[in-house]
Amino acid sequence: MRLGCCIGERSESEMVSSEALLTAVVFLPTVWALITAFFEPKATEAIRYFGLFGTALTFLLTLVLLGAYDPAADAKTMQDGMQMYFSHPWIPNWSVNYAMGVDGISLPLVLLTGLISFLAMLASWSIEKHVKGYVILFLLLETGMLGVFLSLDFLLFYIFWEVMLLPMYFLIGIWGGPKREYAAIKFFIYTLFGGVLMLIAMLMLYFNSGNSFDLLHLAAIGQGKVPEFVFGPTFQILAFLLLFIGFAIKLPAFPFHTWLPDAHVEAPTPISMILAGVLLKMGGYGILRIAFPILPYGAQYCAYGIVALGVFSIIYGAFAALAQTDFKRLVAYSSVSHMGYVLLGMGVWKIGEQADQSIYYWQMGVNAAMFQMIAHGISSAGMFFMVGVLYDRVHHRDLNKFGGIAGLMPQYTGIAAGIFFAGLGLPGLCGFIGEIFSVLSAWQFDKLLAIIAAAGVILTAGYILWTIQRVYFGPAYKGEHAEAIVPANSRELLIGYTLLGFAILLGVMPQLLFNLMDPSISLLVNNMDSAYRALPDVAAKAAETALVP
Amino acid sequence: MGETLRNLLTLAWLLPLVGFLVEIYALCWTHRLSKAPAYLAVGCISAGFVCSAAALLTWGAQTQWAALKDTHHGGDHSAADHADSHATAEGEPSVEQDHPADAASVLPAADGEVHAAVTNGHAAHEEPSASVPTQFGGTYYTLGTFGPLAISLDWYIDSLTLVMFTMVTFIATCIHVFAIGYMHDELTEDYVDHEVHLPDHSHFHRPGRFHRFFAFLSLFCFSMLGLVLAGNIFQVFIFWELVGICSYLLIGFYVERQSASTAANKAFIMNRVGDFGFLIGLMIIWTSLGTFRFYDVPATHSADGHTSKQEVGLFHLIRGDAGDLQVSKDGSSVYLQDGHGGLMKAGDEFRTIPYWLLVAAGLGVFAGCIGKSAQFPLQTWLPDAMEGPTPVSALVHSATMVAAGVYLAGRFYPVFTPEVLLTIAYIGCITLFIGASIALVVTDIKRVLAYSTISQLGYMMLAIGLGGWAAGLFHLVTHAFFKSLMFLSSGSVIAGCHHVQDMERMGGLRRKMPLTAAAMLVGVIAISGLAIPGLKPFGEPIAFSGYHSKDAIVATALAYIKLNSVHGLLFIIPLITAGITAFYMFRLWFLTFSGAPRDAHVYEHAHENPAVMVGPLFVLSILAATCAIGGESGPLFKLLAFSEPVPAGAASGALAPVQIALPTHEQVHAVHDAAGSMALLAAIIGAGLAYALYCRKLLNPADISRQLSGLNDFLLDKWRFDDAYDYLFVRPMRIVGQWCQGFDRHVLDKILNGSASTMVTVSAWDRWFDEKFVDGLVNLVGQVAHSAGRSLRGVQTGQLRQYVMWIAVGVVVLFAALFTALPK
Amino acid sequence: MDSAGLNAYLFVAAVLFVSGVVCMAVKRNAIGVLMGVELVLNGANLNLVAFSRYTTLGLDGQVFALFVIVLAAAEAAIALAIALNFYNNHLTIDVDRGNEMHG
Repeated sequence: MRLGCCIGERSESEMVSSEALLTAVVFLPTVWALITAFFEPKATEAIRYFGLFGTALTFLLTLVLLGAYDPAADAKTMQDGMQMYFSHPWIPNWSVNYAMGVDGISLPLVLLTGLISFLAMLASWSIEKHVKGYVILFLLLETGMLGVFLSLDFLLFYIFWEVMLLPMYFLIGIWGGPKREYAAIKFFIYTLFGGVLMLIAMLMLYFNSGNSFDLLHLAAIGQGKVPEFVFGPTFQILAFLLLFIGFAIKLPAFPFHTWLPDAHVEAPTPISMILAGVLLKMGGYGILRIAFPILPYGAQYCAYGIVALGVFSIIYGAFAALAQTDFKRLVAYSSVSHMGYVLLGMGVWKIGEQADQSIYYWQMGVNAAMFQMIAHGISSAGMFFMVGVLYDRVHHRDLNKFGGIAGLMPQYTGIAAGIFFAGLGLPGLCGFIGEIFSVLSAWQFDKLLAIIAAAGVILTAGYILWTIQRVYFGPAYKGEHAEAIVPANSRELLIGYTLLGFAILLGVMPQLLFNLMDPSISLLVNNMDSAYRALPDVAAKAAETALVP
Repeated sequence: MGETLRNLLTLAWLLPLVGFLVEIYALCWTHRLSKAPAYLAVGCISAGFVCSAAALLTWGAQTQWAALKDTHHGGDHSAADHADSHATAEGEPSVEQDHPADAASVLPAADGEVHAAVTNGHAAHEEPSASVPTQFGGTYYTLGTFGPLAISLDWYIDSLTLVMFTMVTFIATCIHVFAIGYMHDELTEDYVDHEVHLPDHSHFHRPGRFHRFFAFLSLFCFSMLGLVLAGNIFQVFIFWELVGICSYLLIGFYVERQSASTAANKAFIMNRVGDFGFLIGLMIIWTSLGTFRFYDVPATHSADGHTSKQEVGLFHLIRGDAGDLQVSKDGSSVYLQDGHGGLMKAGDEFRTIPYWLLVAAGLGVFAGCIGKSAQFPLQTWLPDAMEGPTPVSALVHSATMVAAGVYLAGRFYPVFTPEVLLTIAYIGCITLFIGASIALVVTDIKRVLAYSTISQLGYMMLAIGLGGWAAGLFHLVTHAFFKSLMFLSSGSVIAGCHHVQDMERMGGLRRKMPLTAAAMLVGVIAISGLAIPGLKPFGEPIAFSGYHSKDAIVATALAYIKLNSVHGLLFIIPLITAGITAFYMFRLWFLTFSGAPRDAHVYEHAHENPAVMVGPLFVLSILAATCAIGGESGPLFKLLAFSEPVPAGAASGALAPVQIALPTHEQVHAVHDAAGSMALLAAIIGAGLAYALYCRKLLNPADISRQLSGLNDFLLDKWRFDDAYDYLFVRPMRIVGQWCQGFDRHVLDKILNGSASTMVTVSAWDRWFDEKFVDGLVNLVGQVAHSAGRSLRGVQTGQLRQYVMWIAVGVVVLFAALFTALPK
Repeated sequence: MDSAGLNAYLFVAAVLFVSGVVCMAVKRNAIGVLMGVELVLNGANLNLVAFSRYTTLGLDGQVFALFVIVLAAAEAAIALAIALNFYNNHLTIDVDRGNEMHG
């Protein structure tokens, strides 16, 4: 079933079926959550299996989405590169639409969400408290995440963005560790703050585009394709900064990252997996889906800042990770470091005299950034799970008290080493491709920043190997609850092997992912480039007719 | 033929990976005491050897062994022409330097002329091998395509690849077999590790890990072969990292030992420091040249009329067929070439790369080699890597992986500018001296060999830096054989002495383990470069492999300093170090095998090892003795030299502080006998000194070291590199880490928490204002009304009669008021 | 008849009124108070009728007076009922005892 062929040829039934598919992907977890509400609260095992079944079904639906997606379809004939696009008036008075669609940028993230949600639910067997409430909130969270990745209306996007916040708040605040209230409120306020900035930018765009929330329409305006409206340079820079800060908080980039270690340390293991595996990706996705295409001039204006921030986050996160003694905090800081590569890859947009060459390096950088998001989704979810497996046994995370785990849990240690090596950027595992490709694309942008980013490989190796040495190697376990350390059970091994398998698959055959993403990214990059070059003309023309906002 | 070679080598490459996957799960299909994983590993790698050898034979047969006929410095006329042209070119460095600049500046105007000239050179170079191709390249699959940029997994096969494959698989097979015996004590459910110190002073018990060792060895072989087979520099980097991690796993095989895991970390992180440079090199190449591929992909015309453009590989982008760099007239940039003698164009402009970037790219890639090959200043990880089991030291940390740096320097030779080559030469020179000097004083048998490895790798780097490409790689191969032999012999000694490694506790062991002693002696003679002087029955002296290869290097150095007299140290230090090498190697042998036993307990329990361990020693001894047979006119050297890139030094650098001219084969050959004699003399002096000190005991070595205690301590402290790095890098890193952590805690979180508490304070004010002012006003109204009511309450007495009185009084008052106030 | 004149009526009415008021003010017996009320009312009635007779108001005064008489009758009935209840509650009809309404 190839849904995304030419839009002109698409029949009504195809439109309906694609709409049904996307809606089902997003709202299946919600329906599941509603049904879960009728369960007897004491039937915990039944609720867990039911929730697991729901996430598995959602994951299968995302796979159907993958099957229906055709990366080779000619991007130009489609709705701005979108496949399975549909749009219905939702609140006509404010011209809000129920609009969704999928392209090479959102599809990998949707798949990642499906996968990580399923695995995180599988990892939720250690949750004992209020299982019913937990599963319901978890499923609502999944709807929020999928909605963010699929919606193509700014208000809809914003609603999903905020909707996802509440379940997360409760999941950290109720099922978290000792300082859970602090962490939950910190997470909540940080994200809400970002949401407010996004709201301002959204309204700026809304009122300067003849009242439109349609992301594709806004992008067309931003790229100078709609003669009636123009986003002028100053406007673009301002709106871009607002959006960028909003998304950078989520990413998180220095200096907006301090919610992350706290949230991770306090969140229960499966929620940490979701948080690191999916939620952080929303920041990167938002930049690519909203900030970049709508505000190409702003993006180009801020490119150096984006890259510099990314590079600084890489180094800063790595240094901070070196200093940690809490296992989970270390992994959290490694996330800050790894997400720096995402910013680095995205931002390497250099407008040079010989732009014909450097745009391909930028295209490579954006591809690498997307790849790094997926790779980090797998490796960091894996790392948090590995920490969680240990925590479930010994109930502490003090790195200095570990040791000798390799002898006690050999198979688990093997998987953990593989996943940590993926984080270290070892070739053959997913982390390598994202990191190296984004660094390789950076030299043409700025030599100094590229060199600093490359230095990250030393620090990363330092903190990861040191961690492995402290936790897994050595003669004996030094902490308390030594008797509780038993080899990993089959459920834990299943999760570990799945993540490791994906890490290896993506590391050895990255082209699977690149082929999926590149047509859309190429379209985005070229659109932005030509829009940036055309902007002075468009703005001048618009100034004559006095339409510049 | 390319297909056949590719299939054979790919099979040899992937078999160990399959082996790894099966072996790592050995406990699922067999039991802990089974040797099956080892047999499987041996099977995989020996099958790999068979494939590699078959590939080498196929290649030779297809090219009619052109490689062996073609002598680069013999009577063959075409080669002589070849050499002559270089001799004239390099006889006058100043002219040579100007020439490419002129050519480049002329090119835009008279393209055809230069094109024709270079095409001639091209034809001359191709002549010996006629029309049969000798190098093959192709793509396995593409990792990612971004517009015109593509990164792929490629393969590249020439005689160097084939020799390396055969050498690696062969040595690996021997070492795998040896390891079956050496790791035998891991075949147990209850392995007692005496090196691990538990807090309660008991011994550490764990199940054996026999299968895991072989799994890691197989993984290493896979990575190493992938590195050799790689068809682009990015792929080299991939496997570069993979051999690094295998080395990490193998050094840290005894994960319970603190020293082992620390050494493993150190090895990997030091390598990463080098890889940082490598990565910068990759970035420059990728951005400036747009490709990583070594070989050219010719234009193809498919059946459906689709034509793909020719893609020029790295080597031909930088250098023409005559090895020329097209430097622009002001020396600031290098023109890229199109592989046919012309220059690359992008639109109307010639494509160029700034000269300094090319130098930086070369230095960057070489930085990777420094890390991997344990060159100065990153050499400190290699001695610590001896924490791994001895077969690992033999395979990974002497014969193959550490030589990968030299291999890469050789492979990437065409891209190196003269400045880079000079750097390589000096780094090699410093390294070989540092390594040898420390080897003089250490007493751990494996560490002596480790430092000797560092020193020998320095020789190889030196040779490559001096333009002696074939000599360097020749030494790589011979060194691989004799050093793996020596490591295995030391492993045999260690196993025979029950894990005693200190030579001070050995002595006289040749009576207990004669076969090992003999094998070690072969290795010692080979590395020392001893030969029988004056006896040349076949035109070459009778000597073991090390003599020939070291001879080639020293000869290159001598020829080099004849051309560039300011760099005289590059000959003197290697020559002196040749003597030192002989001295410390014989010291090792005498201390271990000759004289009286110094530790009766060790001697009592020492025993010769079983055939599974002695067998590989025997095989390797034969090869260590004979692999270089015929010297520089023997088959091994010729095979290697066949892949030699045309001299990279043909164009002198624009940035070089002094002009450099690289010696030609002719010039090297001219000084060969003189250099050989000098090297042999140095070796004999060194060996003789060792004999005098450690065998005849003419002087007490302890007295000498006491006399020179300052120097002795300095050497024992390994030139204090570790301390310096600890102070310069490790501690500052930790401190910066603490700062970052502190910045988060005390600045960012303070700001956040501060703003939160400011919020709380502001809202407290707000509450106060609300309560005091807004609420106060409302309350005031209420209170006034209330108190008014309260005060009027007294009037309401409930006394009926009083009310009536009030009414009456009221009426009266009303009237009175009425009548007084109202106007009449 | 004319000799009496308006002032005489007014005087009598005033006496009646004042007597009634004084009676209300000094009597502690509820019945006494009631009688005072009747006096006041009749004093007022007298005024109404006198003004009606000696001025040009016509029959308005007489009609008012009739209303007041009916009102007084109703008032007396209610007042007596109150007095009876008062007695039931307090076993006396001393109005000074009924001060529950004090503030």
